[in-house]
Amino acid sequence: MKLLTKMMHLQEQHGAVTDAVLREMSKAESVPLYRLEGLRGFYPVFRVTPGRRMRVQVCRDIVCMMKGGPQFCSKVKSVLAGVSGVEVEEVSCVGRCDTAPAATINEIPVSGSVETITAYATGEKPLPSNEPTATPRRWPTDPYSNAKDRYGALKKFLKPGDDRQRDEVIRILKEADLRGLGGAAFPTGMKWDLTRKASGAPKYVVCNADESEPGTFKDRVILEELPYLLIEAMVLAGWMIGAKQGIIYIRHEYAKERKALQQAIENDRRAGALGRNIFGSDVDFDLQIFVSPGGYILGEETALLEALEDKRGEPRNKPPFPVSHGLWGKPTLINNVETFAAIPIILERGAAWWAAQGKGNYKGLKYMCVSGDVAKPGVYCVPWGTTVDELLTLSGGITDGKALYAFSPGGASTNFLPASKRNTALDFKAMQEAGSGLGTGAMVFMAAGRDVLELAISEVKFFRNESCGKCVPCRVGSHKAVDLVEAALAGKPQPDLIPLLQELNSTLAQTSICGLGQVALAPLMSVIDHFPDDALPRLQGSAARSN
Amino acid sequence: METTTGKLIKLTIDGKPALVPEGTSIWDAARNIGIDIPVLCHSPRMRPVGVCRMCVVDIGQRVMAASCVRPCEEGMNVDASSARVEKHRKMLALLLLSDYPQNSAREAKTGDDQLLALARKFAIGRIPLPDGAAEGARGSDMSSPVIAVDHQACILCDRCIRGCDELQHNNVITRTGKGYAARIAFDLNNPMGESTCVACGECMAVCPTGALTNKPVTNMRAAMGGQPD
Repeated sequence: MKLLTKMMHLQEQHGAVTDAVLREMSKAESVPLYRLEGLRGFYPVFRVTPGRRMRVQVCRDIVCMMKGGPQFCSKVKSVLAGVSGVEVEEVSCVGRCDTAPAATINEIPVSGSVETITAYATGEKPLPSNEPTATPRRWPTDPYSNAKDRYGALKKFLKPGDDRQRDEVIRILKEADLRGLGGAAFPTGMKWDLTRKASGAPKYVVCNADESEPGTFKDRVILEELPYLLIEAMVLAGWMIGAKQGIIYIRHEYAKERKALQQAIENDRRAGALGRNIFGSDVDFDLQIFVSPGGYILGEETALLEALEDKRGEPRNKPPFPVSHGLWGKPTLINNVETFAAIPIILERGAAWWAAQGKGNYKGLKYMCVSGDVAKPGVYCVPWGTTVDELLTLSGGITDGKALYAFSPGGASTNFLPASKRNTALDFKAMQEAGSGLGTGAMVFMAAGRDVLELAISEVKFFRNESCGKCVPCRVGSHKAVDLVEAALAGKPQPDLIPLLQELNSTLAQTSICGLGQVALAPLMSVIDHFPDDALPRLQGSAARSN
Repeated sequence: METTTGKLIKLTIDGKPALVPEGTSIWDAARNIGIDIPVLCHSPRMRPVGVCRMCVVDIGQRVMAASCVRPCEEGMNVDASSARVEKHRKMLALLLLSDYPQNSAREAKTGDDQLLALARKFAIGRIPLPDGAAEGARGSDMSSPVIAVDHQACILCDRCIRGCDELQHNNVITRTGKGYAARIAFDLNNPMGESTCVACGECMAVCPTGALTNKPVTNMRAAMGGQPD
């Protein structure tokens, strides 16, 4: 944290971490130059030379591509070409797919249209305010209708030294069947129990607030509107496992959300819910925010830990897992924002109440990020087991009265499904049985007429762009797959392209170190499988067509 | 791999029983019983990093495991050599070879290029992947008087980095960049000859490919302006 934080400060001060700046830092910190270069070269926020005054960043990923067209960034670039003090670059998903096509200027969201973006960039309009909302909405996972009622779960269970209370919390979390809502679906109660029982000290609690997968923006809303639930759960986690320090790892694009979180942390310190002797107990726990220097891969929990240790954020080989060997090799409990934020209400109202919120046999409530061809994109908190079709209705249906053609239910890593699967329940298992996954809950709807092959390729490009480069299959395989497919679309398909892609996919899935490489080709393969008429003629070229 | 207890672990590799101290890697355990698992990024002198993935084995889990970093577990049944496993190794070799230069300086000089040895092992002929080496896109660095750097032949195995920073503690080499654009770099991405490199030679000694090799020795008489031999 120390080196990366210092580098980010230096960059703010000098506009870049130039060689001269790093040579000074190397001496001051007694750190060899190669380590600083490794960091500067890896993290996208760092620049070698200062940029221009207005840095426009335009998202190139699936939802923004749908809304702005594949040439959106080029259009912004050409309109702003030659405008002094302005630079435009394409970036990966900025987590504002509900306002697609999304763009930021100096990290302030300015999504909308080429006209809006250029008006802000040229100074014709002053940049919008970037302050958290003053009027958060009421959400169904918030047990506290009034600010004075907050920390109910914490006050109820925080009885230091009483292991029966801890056992009870684990029991409730297991009974509620709460799972990792960052997409991995690991049982939360089990994770808390494993970290509690792991030997080693000090232990750490980490919140993964680095959601970055195209289509995913639910944690952004929770961070801005319900930060006190996240903090309460992290304190409980600290008490549970015996940690005194918690870290919230947040993506740098979420500046407004970070402010909301910082305010909530300060409020909680004043209220006695954070710091020394929490609510008069002998429990100490405090939180700090760490701003990610950028990159989707940092959401992979071991890459995140590497970043916290001032290394290149490359995923570790597992096992061992963070519950026993996490930050600095110590037991570390890492949960996603939504997972933590669900805990206070589960502990306040009990596992049976939580279970009853789901539909049928499904338990609980789920935040879904809805984007793409829908009338009302945004974050929806719905019962588990709600169907895809019901979610579509909630979000106003497909735009312009068109028919639903396809959907991607859980982010770039989940397979595209045809409209015929619209009655599938929003649930990890049900979605898996339908041939996809619920992933991060990032539902992208695609209307009739959409080019699903092009959209699936954009997902593969996202993974290629965000590969850390550590292992061969992901680093080289994702790149070659894009080259192969682009050659085919340009009319020069490799003979036997489909079997070759299948083999490549199998090797990536089986031999990559982390989930990114394992799923990098999945969206493309799913379009080949589920939408053969859209994919095969164009991938196999004229040779196949003449057969 | 460190051993923390005196406990012994029993497992089976390719049908052969193995008995090893707890903490032993599958790769080491296999070697002990005469099974050579191919690997590019690992050397017994070094901390294993599991990045080339050539040493993957099937241990009956959702995905394969890199045997150089995976500790043996009691009762493990390891498939280290079946066609199913070799198929992935061959694909990994194809991926690396599709970016490999026409000529490897290591193969030309000492004949021990380990990637080309794998290409022979897998009888690789045509490479069905786009050629990433055509224009020598990644370039070379001949600035060091002793060591030649061919970035096109670098497979980012991390051996030179560990050799420089962990074995010799010279602290010069890193990976810079990210993803497909990642490459090895010296100090702040300086030419090797202008970096703090002391030309100890460890990096080229541990490099498995033609990326870091000994530069040809200068003909001294010619260099001094005398008559060539």
